Amino acid sequence: MRAKIAAGAGDASAGPQLRPRGSVTGSPRGPSRILPLLFVVPFLVIIAAWVLAKSAFGVSDAALPSIGDVIHASSQLIDWGILPYDVAASLYRIALGTALAIVIGVPLGLLLGTSRYGVIMFGPFLRFFRAVSGIAILPLLIIWFGFTETTIQVAILYTALIPIIFSTMVGVRTIPPAYRDAIETMGAGSARLIRDVYLPGALASIVVGIRLGVGYGWRALIAGEMLVGAGGLGFMIFGALQFHALGQIVAGMILIGLLYLVIDRLILAPVEDATVRRWGVQRG
Amino acid sequence: MVRRSPARAGQLLADHDVTATSKRVPPTRQGGRIVCRGLAHTFVNARTGESVPALDTVDLVIEPGEFVTVCGPSGCGKTTLLRAIAGLITPTQGQVSCDDVVVRGPGKDRGVVFQELAILPWRTVRRNIAHGLEIQRVPKHEREERVAYFVGLMGLSGFEDKYPHELSGGMKQRVAVARTWAANPRVILMDEPFAAVDAQTRLTLQEELLRISIMSSNSIMFITHNVDEAVFLGDRVVVMTKRPGRIKAIVPVPVPRQERTVEAMADPQFVLLTDQVLHLVRGEVQ
Repeated sequence: MRAKIAAGAGDASAGPQLRPRGSVTGSPRGPSRILPLLFVVPFLVIIAAWVLAKSAFGVSDAALPSIGDVIHASSQLIDWGILPYDVAASLYRIALGTALAIVIGVPLGLLLGTSRYGVIMFGPFLRFFRAVSGIAILPLLIIWFGFTETTIQVAILYTALIPIIFSTMVGVRTIPPAYRDAIETMGAGSARLIRDVYLPGALASIVVGIRLGVGYGWRALIAGEMLVGAGGLGFMIFGALQFHALGQIVAGMILIGLLYLVIDRLILAPVEDATVRRWGVQRG
Repeated sequence: MVRRSPARAGQLLADHDVTATSKRVPPTRQGGRIVCRGLAHTFVNARTGESVPALDTVDLVIEPGEFVTVCGPSGCGKTTLLRAIAGLITPTQGQVSCDDVVVRGPGKDRGVVFQELAILPWRTVRRNIAHGLEIQRVPKHEREERVAYFVGLMGLSGFEDKYPHELSGGMKQRVAVARTWAANPRVILMDEPFAAVDAQTRLTLQEELLRISIMSSNSIMFITHNVDEAVFLGDRVVVMTKRPGRIKAIVPVPVPRQERTVEAMADPQFVLLTDQVLHLVRGEVQ
């Protein structure tokens, strides 16, 4: 799971990336220290392509800003205090939306996963709503809640909730029945069962669900901010469109991707390392 | 089964004596009495509606403190019998009682050691062994004392803070055995617990089990398809017919568990018994 970001960023590096994952203990031999840094390569390639397009093919500034423009725009946005404000607004929204989605989604997923007919009854239902993305329900939300903060929050919650419920449910289903039998024959009640078996047993899957949920929620957030217009990174790049401020647009795009990587790497990956990886039960 | 080498067994028995005298044996509950009356069970396939009879009118009594082994061909309903006694399935007919209380579900009076690995990967060895005691809300001090005792007895010292995935198959099964004993149920049900480990480890585990059973007073029912194992461990060997399982014969093993050593196993009386049970089981396989 950890190599997913790197592998997802560029399939060219997917092959060699698989290696360090295999050796869980991380042998201190030379190559394995360099291999994790391979994720930089596709980024360097796209930056090189960008520079090449500007210098060799003369793509105009009206279509693609130069790197200098983007840096200039970024520093301007920081100086004006716009960027920190928008970043804070977006981060606050995703944090709140995801937290709500976890608080609601994990218990619901546990309930569905432990009930005998839960998967049969709700599997297709959840798949259906997973396909109707947060962006697709935004028009409806705007009719219901107007151009408000609520609209953005509900869009994030809805988008993040579905994968969290689904992954939790699937996670519970994959716990070996012997675990439940074993602690039931030690006299455990249902509270114990949830705490000692279902939650830790489904955790690997729950973390996967949260990572997906944050990813989808982040997209819904940007779209919501564009339409609602109450600050945030989506609002910023959409607003920049009116002034044809390409530097700002690209700076915003880069920041959106970068912030997601930071959330995933600094918050979700360490959770995984501390739990499922240590127990030797991680998935994927 | 591979015959034990005298040197090894002698050494193990020496270990046993040392352990017995140097460490206080934690109090064990008086063994429970299990009575199965007219037990029959038929599985119904939910999709096809097809019914498969697994168990057919089993009457069996396990006396307090007794070690009963159940032996029979694969698929003879041994596991079904165990699961009915554990309360994990409700038999189609008949009933099970433990100390005159009718079994209606799983309970802490009947502990189970499963064939498949049922120790929790997210708990360390120590916390796995303590799990039953935690559920029973045994005070921390007593819990730690009991855990330490069984860690020592099962040769798990030094592995207390390891997670199961860091242990070998034999070690994992030792943790499972220790976990069940530590919780101190009146009856211990074991479902082919050593089937998945290699032959050498299996021998050691059998000897350890014998040792731990001598030192405690719980009643034990041990399921196996291995005749040598059944005769070596049991006070009585219950031989079952092939599906649907019925009791074919009950063969008492007239040697006290304390006296079971390699020498005793080589005794003509033991060899004869093993052959007798083997004959009974093979009659079912053919």
